[in-house]
Amino acid sequence: MRRVLTLFAAQLVLWTLVTTLNHALTEWRVYLFPGALYVAFAALLQPRRAGLAVALLGGLVCDATTPVAFGTHALLFAAAHLILFHLRDRLPKEDNLGLVIVVLFANLALFLVFSLGQIRSSPSPAAVWPRLIADLACTQVFLALVTPWFFALQAQALGLARVPREQGA
Amino acid sequence: MPFKRFDQNRPFLTLALVALAWLLIPTAVKSWGRASFFELTAPVTLAVSRVRDLQDFWALRLRSKTELIEAGRDLARLNSSYELAVQQNLELQAEIARLEGVLRLPSYTEYRYEHARVARRDFSGWWQRIVIRKGRNFGIPVGAPVVFTGGVVGRVTEVHATTSIVELITSQTVKVAGVVEGDTRPLSFQGGVNPTFAPPTGIVEFVPLDIIVGPNSPKRLVTSGFGGVFPPGLTLGTIVRVEPGSDGLFKSGTVRLDERLGSLTEVTVLVPVGQP
Repeated sequence: MRRVLTLFAAQLVLWTLVTTLNHALTEWRVYLFPGALYVAFAALLQPRRAGLAVALLGGLVCDATTPVAFGTHALLFAAAHLILFHLRDRLPKEDNLGLVIVVLFANLALFLVFSLGQIRSSPSPAAVWPRLIADLACTQVFLALVTPWFFALQAQALGLARVPREQGA
Repeated sequence: MPFKRFDQNRPFLTLALVALAWLLIPTAVKSWGRASFFELTAPVTLAVSRVRDLQDFWALRLRSKTELIEAGRDLARLNSSYELAVQQNLELQAEIARLEGVLRLPSYTEYRYEHARVARRDFSGWWQRIVIRKGRNFGIPVGAPVVFTGGVVGRVTEVHATTSIVELITSQTVKVAGVVEGDTRPLSFQGGVNPTFAPPTGIVEFVPLDIIVGPNSPKRLVTSGFGGVFPPGLTLGTIVRVEPGSDGLFKSGTVRLDERLGSLTEVTVLVPVGQP
């Protein structure tokens, strides 16, 4: 329980940071969607149940603050968590570069699936893609910069809460 | 061997169970969950917004007294012209009330102006909306129109305890009835694509064939007052291009929206008088 609450608190920090950045970027019409960051640490380095709970909680926060069907982010993050968890023994997680690459690929997949789900309500879906691609490019740059920091933040938070950092499934 | 295969597929079975459990949860529980999670994040949104205000305050404190004096002088000039406009407005309102009485016309909806700070702007390729720092505590109703100095901002879509969410007219899901300034025939406005590093645009449809718009002669698009949400005469944007539609009966075109919609800090909610 303490593990879940600690990681959820870290997710709230991430959510605050991202919404503040998105607020500042509205003048340039750029939007960051770092969905994979809510999932990656828990999926790669935490037990399955706790990680899944954290992914679901992070998703519900995103659902409550965006105009999508409640549960969209939660189920998407849960799916991403379970896939990453399933593959985690074969993924690089010892060095920052490997982690960043995993997060970038996971975010690409999440962004595309989420976009395909949302774009149905658009009257001119084809016209929206250039904007979405620009947003995706900016998000990936943001993720490359922020992922090592956010992983370190979560690890430190777990240390402060006296929760063992890494456990098996 | 079958056990190993089951173990390999266990994550996907878990996902299927989670999805099934989610589908079985009643809608009321989901609505309660959504409201709870929103209220959980609302204090964070408000705190960040207030810190931003404080930052602006201290930044303004660095301005010199000369700048302050100049700003005060400009403000006094503006105030004098606004006072004149208020007097003319009062006379016009009295005239409207007299004509409504004589012609037995239904009167326009009256509004209470509720000014609100913008706590968060959220403009993605999928949606454009803002969170304002007033909600049920100030009697903001769902559906209320929201305006700023440049015209229409959008309408309130969700009201929470201390915050409300406003969907902007730049959103592709927003449709408003408008008229070309000086014309009475209604046409349809819809939010369009908001390209990166470029001003937002909208789409206009059902434009009468005799309305000519060119790069050198753009037309102002204002609200028509039909539909009952927005009062008439509020600026939606500027029609910059029209071309004949496929049916040949109407034209359709592009509306350039106010760039300041991307940097809103304060808006006004028009609360219909008489509503809770």
